Amino acid sequence: MEEILRMEHITKRFGDVFANRDINLDIRKGEVHTLLGENGAGKSTLMNVLIGLYQPTEGDIYLNGQKVRIDSPAKAVQLGIGMVHQHFMLVEAMTVFENIILGDTRTPGIFIQRDKMRAEIVALAEKYGLEVQLDKPITEISVGEQQRVEILKALYRGAELLILDEPTAALTDIEVEGLFAIMEKLTSENKSVIFISHKMREVLRISDRITILRAGQTILTLNKEDTSGPELAALMIGRELTPSQYDKKTEPGRQVISLEQVDYNKQAKHSGLNGVNLTVGAGEIVGVAGVDGNGQSQLAQLIAGVIGPDSGVVDLKDSKVAKFIPQLFIEEGVSHIPEDRNKMGLVGDMSVRENLVLKSTDTDRFSLRKGLFLKKKAMREYADEMQEKYDIRCASVEQEARSLSGGNQQKIILARELEADPDLLIAVHPTRGLDIGATRFIHDMMIEARDGGCGVLLISADFDEILEMSDRIVVMFEGQIMGEFPGKNPPIDEISLAMAGK
Amino acid sequence: MKNVKWINVLIPVASVLLSLVIGCIIMIILGSNPFIALQYLWIGAFGNLTNLGTTLTRATPLIFTGLCACFAYRCGVFNLGGEGQFIMGSILACVVATQTGLTGLPAVLLSLVAGTIAGGLWAMVPGLLKIYRGQNEMIISIMLNYVATLFMGVLYTNWLRDGSVPQTASVPLESRLTKLFGLRVTTAFLLALLAGAAIYYFLFHTSKGFQLRAVGLNMTAAEFNGFAVRRYLLISFVVSGMIAGLGGSAELLGTQYYLINGYANGYGFDGVAMALIGQLHPIATIVVAIFFAALRVGSTTMQVVTGVPTSVSDIIQALVIVFTVAGLAMVKLPEFKAAVAKLTAKKEAA
Repeated sequence: MEEILRMEHITKRFGDVFANRDINLDIRKGEVHTLLGENGAGKSTLMNVLIGLYQPTEGDIYLNGQKVRIDSPAKAVQLGIGMVHQHFMLVEAMTVFENIILGDTRTPGIFIQRDKMRAEIVALAEKYGLEVQLDKPITEISVGEQQRVEILKALYRGAELLILDEPTAALTDIEVEGLFAIMEKLTSENKSVIFISHKMREVLRISDRITILRAGQTILTLNKEDTSGPELAALMIGRELTPSQYDKKTEPGRQVISLEQVDYNKQAKHSGLNGVNLTVGAGEIVGVAGVDGNGQSQLAQLIAGVIGPDSGVVDLKDSKVAKFIPQLFIEEGVSHIPEDRNKMGLVGDMSVRENLVLKSTDTDRFSLRKGLFLKKKAMREYADEMQEKYDIRCASVEQEARSLSGGNQQKIILARELEADPDLLIAVHPTRGLDIGATRFIHDMMIEARDGGCGVLLISADFDEILEMSDRIVVMFEGQIMGEFPGKNPPIDEISLAMAGK
Repeated sequence: MKNVKWINVLIPVASVLLSLVIGCIIMIILGSNPFIALQYLWIGAFGNLTNLGTTLTRATPLIFTGLCACFAYRCGVFNLGGEGQFIMGSILACVVATQTGLTGLPAVLLSLVAGTIAGGLWAMVPGLLKIYRGQNEMIISIMLNYVATLFMGVLYTNWLRDGSVPQTASVPLESRLTKLFGLRVTTAFLLALLAGAAIYYFLFHTSKGFQLRAVGLNMTAAEFNGFAVRRYLLISFVVSGMIAGLGGSAELLGTQYYLINGYANGYGFDGVAMALIGQLHPIATIVVAIFFAALRVGSTTMQVVTGVPTSVSDIIQALVIVFTVAGLAMVKLPEFKAAVAKLTAKKEAA
């Protein structure tokens, strides 16, 4: 088959972080080519390079054998590359017809030739089986139809190569089949489709070839016939097992938290919880593995008291939780390293000192008469002490927390949460985006807390981190716990499968 | 860090200087000597005790509405209803002082308390609607300004009208606030200073004030760290309204004595400007309010003696606001931050 697109040695760097590193990808005419990878594997960055939103730091793009420079989305459209984003880019108040002709640059003149355009769109829609109601406003049509509008829009602009970014995420099963029929029709007309997904079943159903990305690099391109679900899952996650440098505990103490049949926003597979049973004992680290966006955020927030369950029972240290209010959980000894340190963990405009004492300004240590007069000097001394103990690198503890690097910001949170001497620590992606030194430090401190009797719930999309740290591993998929595995000599194949929903 | 604080003072000061320079250019175009004009502006505002007293009197309501805006903004909510709360405070004070038959100190104290409560209740409306119904607090608080103004209109034209002129009865002599040193300025000004000091202490020296500021700076983090965010939002609204209400009652008892068409007109938004120029710092807000009052009071003398119209002073006031807001926005630009970083790096190298 003839090649339509070749991306050679694409590298995209943001500061010191490589989002893409030496990626090679070739797409043939008339194929469905899947990009498979976890969140943060570099799929979106690569596609943004392809549609001209980013310029690659290094590497070349060839279209139909010609080297091209795609410096804007308009250029990409001109070259026949169309993208349907995961979140649709439609003007809701306008009709389907108006959305499709919006931004059309092919027709000259200042008047809209409605009849001619309409005829063209209808012809295209019939050719590819894209049923749409042209005169309905976007707000009145279903999500599936909105997606067809997006595809039609791309085709109308002359797309030969169509990128579909997680197109099935918002669709019902029947709509998914409809989409696949359209994709087959497209490829039979010799158009090419890049399909981005991490749903194994769909990938195996529709793809001709599959390229796996992991940590910003291409791992492998495979023909569908030559591979299987478990192999893909293992490749996507990465499977080499290096022995953990930490001792694994197998005898947890009394339970500090337990969830029984907990539901939260159950219908939403990627932002809900469905019948979750989970316990964390004193002095053990329970790692929650899984592809990001399968209910982990909700699990963390529920255990921190930020959200309450729709049904089910949550026991905190043997007593049933009646009210889900963060303050009550904090008083019960729950500490939380939240997933978004800037948004949820720190007050960026306040100083390092103020962030360190954020939860404890009304204690006797830092104020007189339960908060009526703050002891700034005591705070300052404490902050200096913490700066030393947790190796927070800043010019002064009076510096704004915002101005610190990610690793040092995370250490502020770690210091604040661990110094509270918690019974339960919830750590969500605690080392995301951090360098090796900071990661190691945070891991050491978490192990120290565990050995001191603290129960730790570690939620991470970094599978290596889960394997390294966990005494017990549970896997989440679409809001459900898919299985529980020992942290000592973990069965990686089984865990990989569970992460892919099998 | 040091640089940031330094810039917070520098920008308003630079804005004032720049505005004065432009004001001078306008005076020159008008054919006047700007130095003489500015001299009389100064004399008019601070030249003798009488003028100083007038300036501080004019500053007092601005201080109150400025503190009102400042307090709410510190908690991250936008109370643009300072004027309505100020008016509701004045109304209640007027009712107590003229309708109950009380006189003297009891009347004064009761009026102040009633006015304060009225302002708080008036501010509670947008607060509750924001928290429980997700309504936009800015729009509701602005709309309530009109309600308060029109309600006051009903009072001075009908219900509490006193005589042929559309205005209420005056507060009796013995129920008015004491004048200081025989000048126009009354204890209302001292109350304003006291309120500013109390707010400063609360925000920067108590645990609750600290938590309130944290809520204002990052609501999500505040919630995750166990602060009762909604309670703080409501409290900040109510207290903010109480400050304006206290200001309204003090203004009525100390300066205006009766309600009339145009009473308190523009004080609310003036207060917002004071708070923004003062960088939401209560003490700075007081200083800014006094400065603006000085420009307003002094400009009359300037006009009488040198013939420079008072509108030049209005232009200067408006420019100060424009420059400060623009300056603050500029400081937040990444290009500006990079330039500052470069400059300091050079200094350290040298």
